[in-house]
Amino acid sequence: MSAHAEALHGGDHHGPPPANQSSRIAPTILGMFLFIGTEAMLFGSFFAAYFFVRVVNPDAPSTWPPAPNEFPQFVAGINTAILVTSSFTMHWALQSIKRNNRRGLQAGLLLTILMGTAFLLTQFIEYAHIGFNTSDGAFASVFFGLTGLHGAHVLVGLLLLTFAANRAFRGHYSPEHHHGVELPGIYWHFVDVMWIVVYVTVYLI
Amino acid sequence: MSVIEHTSHDAGHGSGAPPNRRNILMRPGFVRAAWCFALFFLVGLYLVAGIRWLAGWDPVYDWNIIVLVGGLTLAPIGFLLGLGSFDYWLYWISGRPTIPDDHANHGAHTWKDYFKVNTDHKVIGVQYLVTTFIFFTLGGLMAMLFRAELAQPGMQFMDNQTYNGLVSMHAALMIFVFIIPAFAGLANFAVPLMLGAPDMAFPRLNALSFWFLPIAGTMFLCSFLAPGGAFATGWTSYAPLASEQPIGQIFFNMGVQWAGASSILTALNFLVTIITMRAPGMTFWRMPLLVWANFTTSLLVVIATPFIAGSQFFVMFDRIMHTSFFVPADGGYVLGYQHIFWFYSHPAVYIMILPGFGIISEIISVMSRKPIFGYRLMAMSLLGILVLGFSVWAHHMFVAGMADWLRVPMMISTLLIAVPTGVKVFSWLATLWEGRIKLNTPMLFSLGFISMFVIGGLSGIYLASVPITIHASDTYFIVAHIHYVLFGGSVLTVFAGIYYWFPKMTGRMYNERLGKLHFWLTFISFNLTFFPMHWVGLVGMPRRVADYSDRFADLNLFVTISSFALGASVVVFFYNMIVSWARGPIAESNPWRAMTLEWQVSSPPPIFNFDEIPQVVGGPYEYGVPGARHAILTGGGTPAAKEAHA
Repeated sequence: MSAHAEALHGGDHHGPPPANQSSRIAPTILGMFLFIGTEAMLFGSFFAAYFFVRVVNPDAPSTWPPAPNEFPQFVAGINTAILVTSSFTMHWALQSIKRNNRRGLQAGLLLTILMGTAFLLTQFIEYAHIGFNTSDGAFASVFFGLTGLHGAHVLVGLLLLTFAANRAFRGHYSPEHHHGVELPGIYWHFVDVMWIVVYVTVYLI
Repeated sequence: MSVIEHTSHDAGHGSGAPPNRRNILMRPGFVRAAWCFALFFLVGLYLVAGIRWLAGWDPVYDWNIIVLVGGLTLAPIGFLLGLGSFDYWLYWISGRPTIPDDHANHGAHTWKDYFKVNTDHKVIGVQYLVTTFIFFTLGGLMAMLFRAELAQPGMQFMDNQTYNGLVSMHAALMIFVFIIPAFAGLANFAVPLMLGAPDMAFPRLNALSFWFLPIAGTMFLCSFLAPGGAFATGWTSYAPLASEQPIGQIFFNMGVQWAGASSILTALNFLVTIITMRAPGMTFWRMPLLVWANFTTSLLVVIATPFIAGSQFFVMFDRIMHTSFFVPADGGYVLGYQHIFWFYSHPAVYIMILPGFGIISEIISVMSRKPIFGYRLMAMSLLGILVLGFSVWAHHMFVAGMADWLRVPMMISTLLIAVPTGVKVFSWLATLWEGRIKLNTPMLFSLGFISMFVIGGLSGIYLASVPITIHASDTYFIVAHIHYVLFGGSVLTVFAGIYYWFPKMTGRMYNERLGKLHFWLTFISFNLTFFPMHWVGLVGMPRRVADYSDRFADLNLFVTISSFALGASVVVFFYNMIVSWARGPIAESNPWRAMTLEWQVSSPPPIFNFDEIPQVVGGPYEYGVPGARHAILTGGGTPAAKEAHA
């Protein structure tokens, strides 16, 4: 079989022969943006549930969260700062490989992963000390739903970044070829922006 | 040090042994899939039990959660891993050289290649169609079972829960693992060919999306084995009923997630393919309408499908984690489920018909030997349906107790959708006008589709008005309406598409006489089955109830007999397909003398579709226009291509 393939394509190529490129955007980048579009809509359905529970529902609580529960705004604020910073280190990693600075790429990815992990751990500890559980009413459902969905996305982002870091330390990526860093980067920025929306809607207002 | 990056241009292949020399337990395939399935189930089981034991929750073995995490989430992932869906990616992310497995897994040389993770869009298209038709058969058999129960008033063979389980299973199979993916299958086969592309943009993702599908369908079916029986809440699975049903309900919730993930990933793949891989000269305004239809459908899927994922997550959370999304006593909002569900599921009815519109546009133009009437308007009306489709969801909730002020806006936007749909119907009729019509099987199904879809569409307009819905809601009138648009509409287009592309897919011709027999049997028995339901519905027979009043007995017996005839008509189809695929006469490369690109290559097409990327020079439907060409092919073109515009 591979002999047949080599006869067709010179053997140094996986998959079908190159197609005509009818758009300036690279397929992988476009695919990632579309994927983020569906992810945004998934968050949209969770925000819809939030909207129904907090606004539409005739029995909506007069205070948010309903007394005596409280959301730890301060801790979550610190966490927000950590996640926003990690977006900058991610950007630094990408810019580094574009300038052929491998150390910068590696350091940027590692810092991003560290901050993402710190965010998740803080979130986990926050859950443990928050004083209410998933079964304590619709506000808790919405709170754990939105923050949990976001946490799952942080986890996926961390996995993608770990894959990228692994390859970065093995000497992959170059100023010309760095989609493997760019794609997790786009995803990471999305996770970051989504957190700001979650933080503002669930914790602050 | 060699710097390696990016999937398709990796340098070294590698050190890894060729896959077929590995031990049968380690080789990608069904054996590895079986033990990975079991292993991942056990991982899920002990993960759940371990966490519950550490947290001190009782009971440690909570089978609701173990089934969900181990059985319905991790075990299918293990199955896919064993089958080899992730092999390439796992090599890639670990930074090892990737095994040159692609060509071995590309294209079908024996029938066994259809049971592998195959990356060829043509093979995947056939895999989709065969799989979906298996589910179609099972769903149809269930319909005949509950029609048998409905042959007489009173309870004969089953109790209410079983009856509702059968009805729900029928709908879930037909909608989620038959109609939507059957269109994905046809498009998978045709769209890259029509674009002049060698394959889809992400072939491995394409293969993965296909394999989600048998998982989803099997998951639905497995709920029959669950204690308490299959899920019985209808395909809409309204909360809070759904979170209080026996455990079989989880199989529906998770099955929808797998089917939804499959259709999202396929849609993403289509969008990227259509945007980035068109042949030179193939502008958006030169794309065949099937491509336009799938472009629009894919946009709908990408935007809307996450909402059904969300709604099913909430139901599962309410059951497993005791949240109160839809528990009014704890501040939940019951109607929230319906809003979120229908925000997907109304666009979903367009997901289930727009690709069919595309198929019909192809066939009507080719078989009338005329350019499609109003090509640009046909494309624009698809986009119009896309936009309007998001503004009508609450017309499913006129009697649900939602806010009164929402009713009239939703009624008006629903009526507005008739405008772009009407544009399409009149354009088809205008295309037929004074055409040299060839009444072969695909064309018969297309004409059957137009007439039946108009009936279904008219009862849709009827139902859009609030007072009629209040009268007809939850009666057999709704059942009649949905079957006129989904069977008379979508399923007839699927049949039309299969007959139309059968010679291209298999390289053989189907039997025309059997095809026509299939059409007439289907068309007549379909009408005999579903038309009387309008009547029994309007005079008050409720849906989703196993028993009914004696005054409906005669018509119901008639409907049951007709439905068995409808079931029998499918046997003709299967016989024709199987025998023709095995022993049918060899088909020409372009039996319909069509201009679109898939007909300009051999039947079946070469492994990478085109020897040279074709150059597109004109519109796809210039039939009868002197000197008009759609594309110029060097090398791969066949003599028939040059006669296409005759």
